[in-house]
Amino acid sequence: MRAWFQRRRKGASRADADAFALRLVAPALLIEFLFVFVPLAVGLYYSLHSVRFFQVGRFLGFDNYLSVLTSPAVLNSFAVTAVFSFGSLILTFVVGFALALHLERDGRVAVFMRAVVLVPYVISMLVGSLLLKWVLSQDSGVPQTVLGPLGIADFSVFADSASSMAALIYNAVWRDAAFAMILLLAGLKSIPLELYAAARVDGASPWYRFRRLTLPLLKTPMLITLVRLLMHFVNSLTFQLILTGGGPVNKTETVALRTFRLGFEDYALGRANALSFVVFLINVCMIVLLVKLFKPTEKLR
Amino acid sequence: MSYVRVIRLRKIGDFALNTVIVLFALAPLLWGLSSSLKPANRILQVPPELIPSEVTFAHYATLIENQLFHYMANSAIVSAATVALCLAVGAFAGYALSRFAFPGRNLVMLTVVTVMSIPIASLLVPTYTLIANLGLLDTRTGLVLLYTAYELPIVIWIMFGYFNTIPRQLENAAMIDGYSRFDALRRVILPLAGPGLIASGLFVLTAAWNDFVVAVVMTSAEAVRPLPVAVYFYLGFFGREWGPLLAASMVSIAPIILIFVIFQKYFVSGVTGGSVKG
Repeated sequence: MRAWFQRRRKGASRADADAFALRLVAPALLIEFLFVFVPLAVGLYYSLHSVRFFQVGRFLGFDNYLSVLTSPAVLNSFAVTAVFSFGSLILTFVVGFALALHLERDGRVAVFMRAVVLVPYVISMLVGSLLLKWVLSQDSGVPQTVLGPLGIADFSVFADSASSMAALIYNAVWRDAAFAMILLLAGLKSIPLELYAAARVDGASPWYRFRRLTLPLLKTPMLITLVRLLMHFVNSLTFQLILTGGGPVNKTETVALRTFRLGFEDYALGRANALSFVVFLINVCMIVLLVKLFKPTEKLR
Repeated sequence: MSYVRVIRLRKIGDFALNTVIVLFALAPLLWGLSSSLKPANRILQVPPELIPSEVTFAHYATLIENQLFHYMANSAIVSAATVALCLAVGAFAGYALSRFAFPGRNLVMLTVVTVMSIPIASLLVPTYTLIANLGLLDTRTGLVLLYTAYELPIVIWIMFGYFNTIPRQLENAAMIDGYSRFDALRRVILPLAGPGLIASGLFVLTAAWNDFVVAVVMTSAEAVRPLPVAVYFYLGFFGREWGPLLAASMVSIAPIILIFVIFQKYFVSGVTGGSVKG
């Protein structure tokens, strides 16, 4: 190992330093290339061919793309994903922001509370979803106990499409609000307190301070938070797989779940790869769009 | 209304709000824990008991009969190997980016940021085809390499930021004393980078221990099955027998919660890529 990192003994020439640095980054680059960029290429190749159970057949051009984009199941999954992702994104962002503002001051209570809300985030998505499935299922007796006094008997959360979707979104918010909180907290902490003091001296109301100071100064952290949350929700698979299984009748089958089933249940790897690419491109477009939306506006004040 | 009264009211309001937040965050976990300790006939009882009137460890025993320790060992091996590989490779790369203006440095930076921002989750199917072609399906090695590829950018990012806070004069002094570049890095700088290594290591550990999606796609053999996938299969095996399922859930989150409680302040800097010191 050592021999590889230093081909020559001491020497302080520029070329020597460059060679040393390149050798330090080489393993990292190799791993990223192999397991991130090569899959992109392999997937693209598969998506343009007829593939059945790993047997790559003839070149099809864009037939796979056409067949997934005209499939009713896929179109349904796009609509489901839009509802789930934007519902989860807006709620998670708002709840996370509220938590960040509420727990901003570094008191003992706030530090403890931050740790508590982070617990759903550090446990696995699988277990989190499983626990919510248990609580919301009739087996646990919780729905009957809560809804019974309201005069609603025998309501099953996962048999109804609207309540299944609500449960999915709740699952997403429950887990990721803390993540949004931490990212936004990082931004809040970077704002110099003197600005608030100055604004207060000038007689700005709390709401005005929030709108004219906090929000503009948090632009970048807000953008990062939104992008990371959106990518997480659009591509999430665990929530749906465990909590609703896509049901009832595909009403909560998101694109990620549809792709998963195309690939690993139907073994239609050509079409699954094509769909992966469509989603990938949509993802990239959404990131670009968000970045453009949040571009700092250069206005003269 | 006197000032003192306003403050008191605000304190009561804060306390009430915090109580609600704690309940929302932890109720499902505590409910699962309580149910996993109940005997089978009381789990499905309506209305349910909040606190089990009789405590049993039968469900945990059932799990141990169903290979629980084997799956835990798989998860532990994969997680430990991923952390080791990520820290070794990531710390070196972060150091190079922090100290040298080598040709191609910007390209490496761009690669790190790109991998961090592209939705790798949407590449699950192509990755499966690649791993199958490499003959790495159903191997722990395959999982370790994939987790490393996914978590490496975060590690590089945190370590890059951390090395920037360590003065350069230290290596220079070590090299004047006759250390080679590599020895200066290994013996002088790395020991100082402990907090950065802990923060990024925790982040990687959590990701590797908790991952379900990648593991369920890349493994089907029981020999290499990690714990989250095992819980998923228990779901099919036990069906509506919630006792063992909830017990399995508790077992799989206990180590992470313990580590989180101990290293809480490092976690925050891990999540934010080192931009917040917890």
